[in-house]
Amino acid sequence: MVLEHVWGLITHPKEEWKDIRDQRCSVTRCYCSHVLFLAAIPAVAGFIGTSQVGWSVAGDLPVKLEAGSALRISIAFYFAMLVTVFAIGKMVHWMGQTYGAEQTLPQCIALAAYTATPLFLVGVMMIYPIPWLDFLAGIIALSYTVYLLYLGLPIMMQVDQDKGFLFSSAVLAVGLVMLVGLMATSVILWSTGMGPAFMR
Amino acid sequence: MATQDTYNYSVVRQFSVMTIIWGVVGMLVGVLIAAQMAWPVLNFDTPWLTFSRLRPLHTNAVIFAFGGSALFATSYYVVQRTCHTRLFAPGLAAFTFWGWQLVIVLAAISLPLGYTTSKEYAELEWPIDILITLVWVSYAVVFFGTIFKRKVQHIYVANWFFGAFIITVAILHLGNSAALPVSFTKSYSVYSGAQDAMVQWWYGHNAVGFFLTAGFLGMMYYFIPKQAERPVYSYRLSVVHFWALVFTYIWAGPHHLHYTALPDWTQSVGMVFSLILLAPSWGGMINGIMTLSGAWQKLRSDPILRFLIVSVSFYGMSTFEGPMMSIKTVNALSHYTDWTIGHVHSGALGWVALVSMGSMYYLIPRLFNREIYSVKLIEVHFWVATIGIILYITSMWVSGVMQGLMWRAVNPDGTLTYSFVESVQAMHPFYIVRWLGGTFFLLGMLIMAYNVFKTIKGATPAEAAIPAPAH
Repeated sequence: MVLEHVWGLITHPKEEWKDIRDQRCSVTRCYCSHVLFLAAIPAVAGFIGTSQVGWSVAGDLPVKLEAGSALRISIAFYFAMLVTVFAIGKMVHWMGQTYGAEQTLPQCIALAAYTATPLFLVGVMMIYPIPWLDFLAGIIALSYTVYLLYLGLPIMMQVDQDKGFLFSSAVLAVGLVMLVGLMATSVILWSTGMGPAFMR
Repeated sequence: MATQDTYNYSVVRQFSVMTIIWGVVGMLVGVLIAAQMAWPVLNFDTPWLTFSRLRPLHTNAVIFAFGGSALFATSYYVVQRTCHTRLFAPGLAAFTFWGWQLVIVLAAISLPLGYTTSKEYAELEWPIDILITLVWVSYAVVFFGTIFKRKVQHIYVANWFFGAFIITVAILHLGNSAALPVSFTKSYSVYSGAQDAMVQWWYGHNAVGFFLTAGFLGMMYYFIPKQAERPVYSYRLSVVHFWALVFTYIWAGPHHLHYTALPDWTQSVGMVFSLILLAPSWGGMINGIMTLSGAWQKLRSDPILRFLIVSVSFYGMSTFEGPMMSIKTVNALSHYTDWTIGHVHSGALGWVALVSMGSMYYLIPRLFNREIYSVKLIEVHFWVATIGIILYITSMWVSGVMQGLMWRAVNPDGTLTYSFVESVQAMHPFYIVRWLGGTFFLLGMLIMAYNVFKTIKGATPAEAAIPAPAH
């Protein structure tokens, strides 16, 4: 079933994590039923928000991106999200040995994919971009994501709570590093011709 | 003599207590200037309360007063314990304490009055610089004297880091602060133009590399194994990344001067060395995390371990971010924006402050022979501080990238899309969030101060006998 765990992760996350664990779905299924759809939310909302609605930063006329420019950036963003989920799952799998977790790669990717759910959902805010409001919503979604990680990791990886705390902190650090890496990559791409084209 | 059989804890105690006090003061000034960024009216039109004078006060107070006291305290403790000998030259050690406190007080008076060399992180005028030199040379004599009379043959790796920090900071200070005095309160740098800038950032970046990194790695290599009750994950790695780190850091300074009058090839050299620096930095992070990872059973009952693990994680993150930002293309956007401020604080709050706090929570009960007043409050401190850091760095990421994009946005006819003041206006909500993050972090520091005060109130100073070294 498509998107079956989204609601559960919000209302009763602990039980939902156990369901996800016991389902043992494959990477393909995890992507086809969850990631491909959810990652489209920020990409599509971002495209509409930046090219059709526009945003105003200093209380003046809204700024927009040219449709072609917004489309290129949204598509790149979409694929960046797909790759990031896979990469974090891969890192979880690699670090698992250190923390005594013997889970398969698909389980690790499922952990990464479902943990990111709040961040995908909050992407819808970009459809009507107000920078400070989006930032606040993003902080709330990020906090819930971190909570899901600390809650879900011991369940998914079947490790002790305390080991889970260390493991989760390591995953969080990896996530932060990847975020910074993405920021730097975007800036380099912008400066080499893939930059956003503004209209006002 | 009976006193020969115990460690000299009195100077360690003095520096430990001052670490807490200067932490509160320095962070309070930080919160005030963060508030001024959001609400400029808070300078009350008073010259000595303006951002320009309080900002160097904030940086000096947190780096040299808070961080410096923590380094003195831990290095004096660690060098005695790992060398199985009492501190060399106790009179000189006492001088380093009182001398360093005098430096801080003089900074707190002279900076708000507007006396400054205008060199970042080296703002203090020449008479204070001479006092710093005297204190620092005494510090080196005490530290290396203690190593010289050690009772064990091996010099533990933490002491290598502390030693490198002491020597390099001495060289940096003497090199960068060389100046011609024109009066008691004013001097001019002996370097001119682009050379002055280069020397300044050779100093500035290595103040980060040796004061804020090597010294605190020394702290990490003692207090993490101690608190985790585990040996260092890889001792060989610690030695390899020590030499790699001290060799590489020295060359990275030019990345502070990308696209300035500095020769272009120098900038490229700085960038390349900054990228290489990722390897030795992560060597340290991996060693810290792997050492802690063996102690997972203790984590529930031990909030100090949480401070240490999160500090090492932030060390890993910010030492990845640094090389990324040193790439010239990235720097073209990030330089002069709040991204830099966020980066500095993920290192300063996340790494330096958290590892110091963890070490102090380890040290203070042992120095006063008391259990910590409240373990629960350590846990509260941990969460309050972590939330503060997250608010701080996320708001600075967003505002920094926004600033960078706004400053470089141009209309089809070539004119700038935004005026500078429009970008300032757009930052307002993020400056409020940053102030909030700083307030959280200060609140954590106040909780720590209360906890420490209740712990040491009425306590008798501890005396620890020097155990015979095991061979």
